[in-house]
Amino acid sequence: MSVNETVLKHLERFTGTDQVRKDLNIDLFGERLLDSLASIELVLALSEDFSLDLAPGDVDRDEWATPQKIIDYINARAKQA
Amino acid sequence: MDIIKQIDHWAQVQPEKVAHKSSGQTLSYQELFIQSNKLAEYLMQALPNDNSPIVILGHKHIEMTIGFIACAKSGHPYIPLENYFPEQRIKTVVDTAQASMVLTVEKIRDVLDGAKENLNFTPRERKQDDAWYIIFTSGSTGNPKGVVIPRSNLENFLNWAVPEHKVTRDTVILGQAPFTFDVSILDLYCSLYQGGTLVSVTKDEIANLKELFHTLKNSNATMWVSTPSFARLCLMDQSFSEDMIPTLSRFWLAGEALAPEICVDLLKRFPKTELWNAYGPTEATVATTSVEITKDILAKYNPVPIGYAMPGTQILIHDQDNRPVLSGERGEIIICGPNVSVGYINRPDLTERAFFELNGQRAYHTGDWGRYKDGMVFYEGRMDFQIKLHGYRIELGDIESNLHALTNIQDAVIIPVMKGEHADYLAAFVIMKTKTDQSDFENMQAMKKELAQRIPEYMIPRKFIFLPEFPMTSNGKADRRKLAETLQ
Repeated sequence: MSVNETVLKHLERFTGTDQVRKDLNIDLFGERLLDSLASIELVLALSEDFSLDLAPGDVDRDEWATPQKIIDYINARAKQA
Repeated sequence: MDIIKQIDHWAQVQPEKVAHKSSGQTLSYQELFIQSNKLAEYLMQALPNDNSPIVILGHKHIEMTIGFIACAKSGHPYIPLENYFPEQRIKTVVDTAQASMVLTVEKIRDVLDGAKENLNFTPRERKQDDAWYIIFTSGSTGNPKGVVIPRSNLENFLNWAVPEHKVTRDTVILGQAPFTFDVSILDLYCSLYQGGTLVSVTKDEIANLKELFHTLKNSNATMWVSTPSFARLCLMDQSFSEDMIPTLSRFWLAGEALAPEICVDLLKRFPKTELWNAYGPTEATVATTSVEITKDILAKYNPVPIGYAMPGTQILIHDQDNRPVLSGERGEIIICGPNVSVGYINRPDLTERAFFELNGQRAYHTGDWGRYKDGMVFYEGRMDFQIKLHGYRIELGDIESNLHALTNIQDAVIIPVMKGEHADYLAAFVIMKTKTDQSDFENMQAMKKELAQRIPEYMIPRKFIFLPEFPMTSNGKADRRKLAETLQ
């Protein structure tokens, strides 16, 4: 599964809406779609799926504010790995 | 025992010592003494000596601490409220309590800026049964209810908690609970009473683990006071361990059921730190039982025990007719003793339902299932629709009532989605009065926005599921079990 699809699949699960697919720039925190606990669980789920060493304590909330930003972040980390 | 005299005494003994630290701001014992005197004098001039409650609005601000102590000095109980609560919720509390004043952080700053220090200031005497604070909790009919805690309750609690948890001048307490949640009473008063330091963790820090861990690393905390949910959140990052807070000697967890896996993780990552579990509703002043959770306890018991009752307080297990059950049998946990609240402010109806007299002492129906085993009490869940979500006490009926009050709702049911033993998030099942042209997402966002005007953010459901009708039970009620199954 591609990075896009994996991120969106998890986001859909955590937010309970497919709007995260329709609008990749939606503000996940501002629109109350993700809370802090769900965002940490998302970091852990993506960390496992992509075998990346992501620690929730290292991730800045601003870098994970939209679906597109998360996709970009994971792509960048996957390249470094 | 005089709490105020004791706190003031530290201003003489260690004036520069930090009493409260929050969001980079610090308050020394001398500042607390001078500022609380100035604010108390203002309150005594502005208000009659009538024990009327004062609302203090903020979020972990050092000015709130000044406000709490100033209220005590001026003879008024205080009601802590979060400044991010919706206006309507704040208004309901002010009206229900018939509060005589609302002190925001800005108002406190203004008063202190304009006031001069009066060296002859004398605090008002407080009687044992005078209310010290009132904490509002979620109410099943959509309106919060205010638990009144008198001075004697707080003193009893401190008499037990301070020695039990070895709080001294050298103690630095890391406090997670907001001041609207009475777990914060332990971290604030144990610390101030003993001349220690309270380091508060704010909502913004909790929302950003990177920032939170920075605060934890620099806290020098010796005692950790939080809900199990907060500990679980920190444990999700492997770097949360003894290396992050090497000074920590004790975890004190309370406010919701403590899952064994949290204990196993904490004991593994903090091998030199004691782990304590405590239990007690707001109606019985912070906590009434506690026990140290060791590897031996974990090997022997599941669920984790909530421990032994504090001296002078009885934990009884009653059946549905309010009679004691046989030893070891399951029943409702009844708390009886001097730490039980005098009731809900201006709600004699609710007070009469929940409180009663037993052997000449106040007693409280907790609505919690429990049983005794090996001399310890075990919590076994709720008897009603009250839940704990990430440490917050929530009546599902509170959210449902507020949902029903929205413009286009015909019916609504809230279901907590469980992850193992604990509630992970809330889902709202909704039947709309009239169909709209908007998508489900747009309807959900509109309802979330409308709800945010009425209830605190932590009560807003994460998911909304729109249905034409609900599955019904044979009694003609919405079938919550079937609705919950659709979420699996």
